[in-house]
Amino acid sequence: MIHAFKGRIRLLTTGVALAVMMAAAPQALAATPKDTLVLAWAIDDIITLDPGEAFEISAGEIMGNAYDNLVNLDINDTSKVTPGVAASWTVSDDALTYTFKIKPDLKFASGNPITAADVAYTFERAVKLDKSPAFILTQFGLTKDNVTEKAKATDDSTFVLTVDKAYAPSFVLNCLTANVASIVDKALLEEHVADGDFGNGWLKTNYAGSGPFKMMQWRANEILVLERNDNYYGEKAKVKRAIYRHMKESSGQRLALEAGDIDVARNLEPGDLDAIAKNKEIITDAAPKGTVYYFSLNQKNANLAKPEVREALKYLVDYDAIGATLIKGIGEIHQTFLPKGMLGSLDENPYRLDVAKAKELLAKAGLADGFDVTMDVRNTQPVTGIAESVQQTFAQAGVKLSIIPGDGKQTLTKYRARNHDIYIGQWGTDYWDPHSNADTFAANPNNADDAAAKPLSWRNAWDIPELTKETAAALLERDAAKRGAMYEDLQKKVLETGPFVIVFQQTEVAAVRAEVKGYKLGPSFDTNLLSPVSKE
Amino acid sequence: MSPNPTGAAQAQPRPYSREWLLSDRPVSRRQARLGRAYIVWRRFAENRLALVGLAIIILLLLVAAFADVLSPHDPVVGDLRNARLLPPGSEGYLLGTDDQGRDILSRLVYGSRLTLLVVVLVAIIAAPIGLIVGTVSGYIGGWADAVLMRITDIFLAFPKLVLALALVAALGPGIENAILAIAVTSWPPYARIARAETMTFRNSEFIAAVKLMGASPLRIILRHVMPLCVSSLIVRVTLDMAGIILTAAGLGFLGLGAQPPLPEWGAMIASGRRFILDQWWVAAMPGFAILVVSLGFNLLGDGLRDALDPKEAGQ
Repeated sequence: MIHAFKGRIRLLTTGVALAVMMAAAPQALAATPKDTLVLAWAIDDIITLDPGEAFEISAGEIMGNAYDNLVNLDINDTSKVTPGVAASWTVSDDALTYTFKIKPDLKFASGNPITAADVAYTFERAVKLDKSPAFILTQFGLTKDNVTEKAKATDDSTFVLTVDKAYAPSFVLNCLTANVASIVDKALLEEHVADGDFGNGWLKTNYAGSGPFKMMQWRANEILVLERNDNYYGEKAKVKRAIYRHMKESSGQRLALEAGDIDVARNLEPGDLDAIAKNKEIITDAAPKGTVYYFSLNQKNANLAKPEVREALKYLVDYDAIGATLIKGIGEIHQTFLPKGMLGSLDENPYRLDVAKAKELLAKAGLADGFDVTMDVRNTQPVTGIAESVQQTFAQAGVKLSIIPGDGKQTLTKYRARNHDIYIGQWGTDYWDPHSNADTFAANPNNADDAAAKPLSWRNAWDIPELTKETAAALLERDAAKRGAMYEDLQKKVLETGPFVIVFQQTEVAAVRAEVKGYKLGPSFDTNLLSPVSKE
Repeated sequence: MSPNPTGAAQAQPRPYSREWLLSDRPVSRRQARLGRAYIVWRRFAENRLALVGLAIIILLLLVAAFADVLSPHDPVVGDLRNARLLPPGSEGYLLGTDDQGRDILSRLVYGSRLTLLVVVLVAIIAAPIGLIVGTVSGYIGGWADAVLMRITDIFLAFPKLVLALALVAALGPGIENAILAIAVTSWPPYARIARAETMTFRNSEFIAAVKLMGASPLRIILRHVMPLCVSSLIVRVTLDMAGIILTAAGLGFLGLGAQPPLPEWGAMIASGRRFILDQWWVAAMPGFAILVVSLGFNLLGDGLRDALDPKEAGQ
């Protein structure tokens, strides 16, 4: 009896001691070590860390820091690329053959040398694995059968890529900056092959790269640890370690940042951003990203198919007010389909709220009294807020908009089946090249209900044979400047006549403690680089 | 007997006076009925809290009726640019503004119409269904009773909100469907009550007497059973109204009730949730409105139960 009682007391005291220790733990974490950068970020979207498979935003950032490509995006001018593993490259006159010279004496983090054979293996692996991002490479005509011939190492330092059409070299090079083309360590992966999976099962949670950081550990929905790669050929990372802590809630990140438990908060919402703006110990950095938010008008709807109506509705959005309130800090008004910073991006926002003009256009279309129309809206911010604002401004010209809310799956399914009137949503670029967006906003090879390709213009039944041809031509234009001009022209045409009312481009915001120096968000999701970051 | 009490004997007190109403020898049906109503009212009025509840509901009715006059701004059109998330007491916006720059007071005032619409329609749909099912089941008995009560059991087996959610999800979101869903889920308790009441007097002598006179079951249920069930049903419905308001607000909160831009209180809370740390009033004001109105209906229902309770009424 007494023994049991004692046992219980002991249990109780141990419990209390544990509780005290746990309560004290956050304080112990406060003030992160000088050589370690701690970032709070919602990293629950990571499902794999294999560059041949990963196609998620958070994974993209990890790849960007831990792997190197043949060529990389120039973060100072994202319409260009800079050398990565490749020292130089030449394009044959017929634009079909790309020859890359690999920098000599490079090493993977594992210590294995980087040779052209590793590059060829990277291509073969990505194409043969055939995971979601593989299309970025297979669109050059690479298939499982021909990849070993078309992407080949001719000697230790020469890699030759043969494409099937005379694509614009800028297009091919831009695609090679994607994570799927990140160079992997052939020798290391071959140790971990199981059932001919090219080491995919192992690489999901491990690392075989050569970037400025090496990925040490990833525990899903908890933590991801990067460590400096001393074998990196370029400038070494300034901090020894970078730790991503999974934190989902904006308010939680704000509190941890204010307490100094973390150095960088990545998911702050506008309200919390406003609140920390007064804090001198915290600075914020923002960069536009490759996602545009838009609403689109289904051309199967007789009213929306009238060109005057399409134009009128573009005048019935209060862009300025939305930019100053609903998307403040998380986006900026942008009306063309290419995100700012991409080759050929047109930074023109000609439309503003003009009810009189819209009424005039509606009258011209024979709809002077307005009309009824529905909008499918996903139940998330900021789209619901924007939809409500648009509902009010539409009403000023007599257009009665009913909002049909739904979850992402419901609205998207309806949108993909072309059963909507108006759909509001976002589009993120698949890879950093204008073709990624042009191919969906300005090309519709077949407008039939059973078409094989279903780009956004198909989803809105916008039949555009001329623009489709122009988009295809832009893809084959070899002069980058001329190619940019072609995309500008495409954007102008879509802006004027298209069924897309593009409202804003997403901005990514990070709040950083003042002692962290050099933290800068990059133009794309995989260029939020950590190697220049240091701490005082 | 003349319906006009002035024609009655001189000994009668002045018509409509207190004595006339409380007279234990009413000379007309009308006098008897008014007298009974007066007694009920007196019993009701003794309960101060019930009067407060009544006052709240009357106020709600008035606000809903004169929403156009009372609200200083348009409830659906806001000033996004200049008047977003203003705190209560800002110039021209007594209760502040929401994230679309709309005046919260005006939205609450117009929202009272939606709340009343939901409550009244649900009561009109659900109470008669419950009454009919309950009285038929209780009076006829046998297999009809078994079938009807098992159906009632099935409905009662689901949590109310979950069943309403499922119905709205199937019918599509919207205030009409929300009303329908709430009505469909709230009749079973009424059926149970009506059945229990019916059972207590289905074998009583006055029913037997009517039966002997050749009245059909339909007539007996309609004219003799139902009126006796009504008072307890009224009490129950009034007490349920707070629950109906909360269910409607819950559906609105989940985005399945009234759709934007309708100023439904539950939906207003849902949209204010994002600002709860820094702009508390966006969610707090409609929450407060729901609280007050639910409380009003509860107090009124309590008072009515005390006043109408058959056990006490028989004294």
